[in-house]
Amino acid sequence: MSSEALVMKNVCKDFKVLNRHEGLKGSIKDLFSRDYKIVSAVKDVSLTVNQGEIIGYLGPNGAGKSTTIKMMTGVLEPTSGEILVNGKVPYKNRTENCENIGVVFGQRSQLWWSLPLIESFKLLRDLYMVPQKDYEEMLELYRSLVDIEPILHKPVRQMSLGQRTLSDILAAFLHNPPVVFLDEPTIGLDVSMKSKIRELILGLNKEKNTTVILTTHDMGDVDALCRRIVIIDKGAKIYDNDIDHLKNYFGSYRTLKLRLEDDTWEETLIDEKTTDVMDVIMEKQKTMKIKDIKILEITTEEVIRKIYEGSER
Amino acid sequence: MNPKRMLALTRGGIMESLHYRMSIFVTLFANLIYLVLVYYLWKAIYDSSGTDMVNGMTFTDTMIYLILATALFNFLEMFVVWDMSRSIQSGNITLDLLKPMSFRKYRFWSYTGNHVVQFVLSFIPTFVVVMIVTHGAIRMGVNLVWFMLSTLLALLINYNIEMLIAPICFYTESTWGVNIMKETIVLLLSGATIPLAFFPEKIRMVVQYLPFRAVYDIPLSMLLGKNGADSLRGLLHLFGLQVAWLIVLTIAGNLVWNKAVKKIIVNGG
Repeated sequence: MSSEALVMKNVCKDFKVLNRHEGLKGSIKDLFSRDYKIVSAVKDVSLTVNQGEIIGYLGPNGAGKSTTIKMMTGVLEPTSGEILVNGKVPYKNRTENCENIGVVFGQRSQLWWSLPLIESFKLLRDLYMVPQKDYEEMLELYRSLVDIEPILHKPVRQMSLGQRTLSDILAAFLHNPPVVFLDEPTIGLDVSMKSKIRELILGLNKEKNTTVILTTHDMGDVDALCRRIVIIDKGAKIYDNDIDHLKNYFGSYRTLKLRLEDDTWEETLIDEKTTDVMDVIMEKQKTMKIKDIKILEITTEEVIRKIYEGSER
Repeated sequence: MNPKRMLALTRGGIMESLHYRMSIFVTLFANLIYLVLVYYLWKAIYDSSGTDMVNGMTFTDTMIYLILATALFNFLEMFVVWDMSRSIQSGNITLDLLKPMSFRKYRFWSYTGNHVVQFVLSFIPTFVVVMIVTHGAIRMGVNLVWFMLSTLLALLINYNIEMLIAPICFYTESTWGVNIMKETIVLLLSGATIPLAFFPEKIRMVVQYLPFRAVYDIPLSMLLGKNGADSLRGLLHLFGLQVAWLIVLTIAGNLVWNKAVKKIIVNGG
């Protein structure tokens, strides 16, 4: 078996959308309208992910992240291009593909709502035909990574959002799939739960060599988990490289923070290659009094923002 | 299809249904009120007709038929259309499509647990009460076997009718009207609210061959030994009708569903 867990070649996805008109008159007109427009959600994306990698799949809202994930899982068919997950075309063998992937959507739960978590696990064990021995080993691994005892016998609907997300991630890994998709798994969670979940994902990836495709808006997730990031915007891939390279690339950037007279902090992003930090401070001082100065390394978040902005130009 | 998966889903369904045990008691209570209403309605009809026998059925016959039809309705009732429209609107349908088995089978086996619970906790008690009250008006013999068999077929037919209607949600996005229409048609034409014997001759001739009858009227006929279910030829005819409709509806359901899935897969639902 090749070490390529996932391959995308020149994948495009177009949606046909009705051109909606304004107002009541427009709504009535829409009933009979044949006026469609084509919206390209994903444009010519190519990507190869190796077995065992954790990649961060990033992009602003509406960039086409979820559409890509849906194509990878087989619930959407690409308009053109080729996708292979574990060597198979996902949308052609949807049910078969589903046996070899795990999926978590941060906002939804695949667990049985009114049943205790352990019952959901048992159901999934039987649905995915996991041998009892492997199932027990997996639970043992879970126990070593997180404290699952308090939630194992709790009905899912009584869980906190954090516990539920944790449970959903455990459920997605239960049948030991080679590839797991995590779509914004840490959305809405507090700091300690976030770090717990990151540790869990990292632990599972290390133990089972699972490939993880992670979409998130949380740079903490990216910093903690991903060595490689892919950024898409407006459907097109604009960056694909490891995270250190990204930091090098923008390494000359500094964030300058100035505390002004009214105790507010003013932030400016400066590229040291083109502008001198001292010049900026001096320029500011001419017009206002500065009480405090901080110069910070650029954060990943700002790097991403920089790339987004760059692609917009 | 692996039996382990089916059993696991059924087992989960039973546990989920039992979790909402209060709703079962509420249903039983609501039935009681409905049946009181039905009792007085039909009593008035029989009283005003002046004879004991209307359309070949005595008052007791009609009451037994309607009570059992109600119990059967609770047992067979499915919410496929509701559930599907909800999961389309919320986008949760994606999760169901990501299960390692075909959507139609997955959904069906998710419902079976509830059917088992309803049968044991709702149909059987009602049946026993009817038996005691009517002092053995229901024959206890091989007809029970035919009834069980026929009910299983009815369950499958009903599921296929639902699965045929449900994909309409993909196109209309609102399903309330569609569902109410479906429910009304099924309840009326299946004989669940008015025994088919009371239909005007010409309409009855048509309704007799429609699939809706196969859901309520045929199993009840088998149980009560009506409509020719007391002869071998009649039995074969009724079973034949059910099997024929089951095949037609399964094929039609498959076609419609595959087309609907294609629409989700191509245009994102």
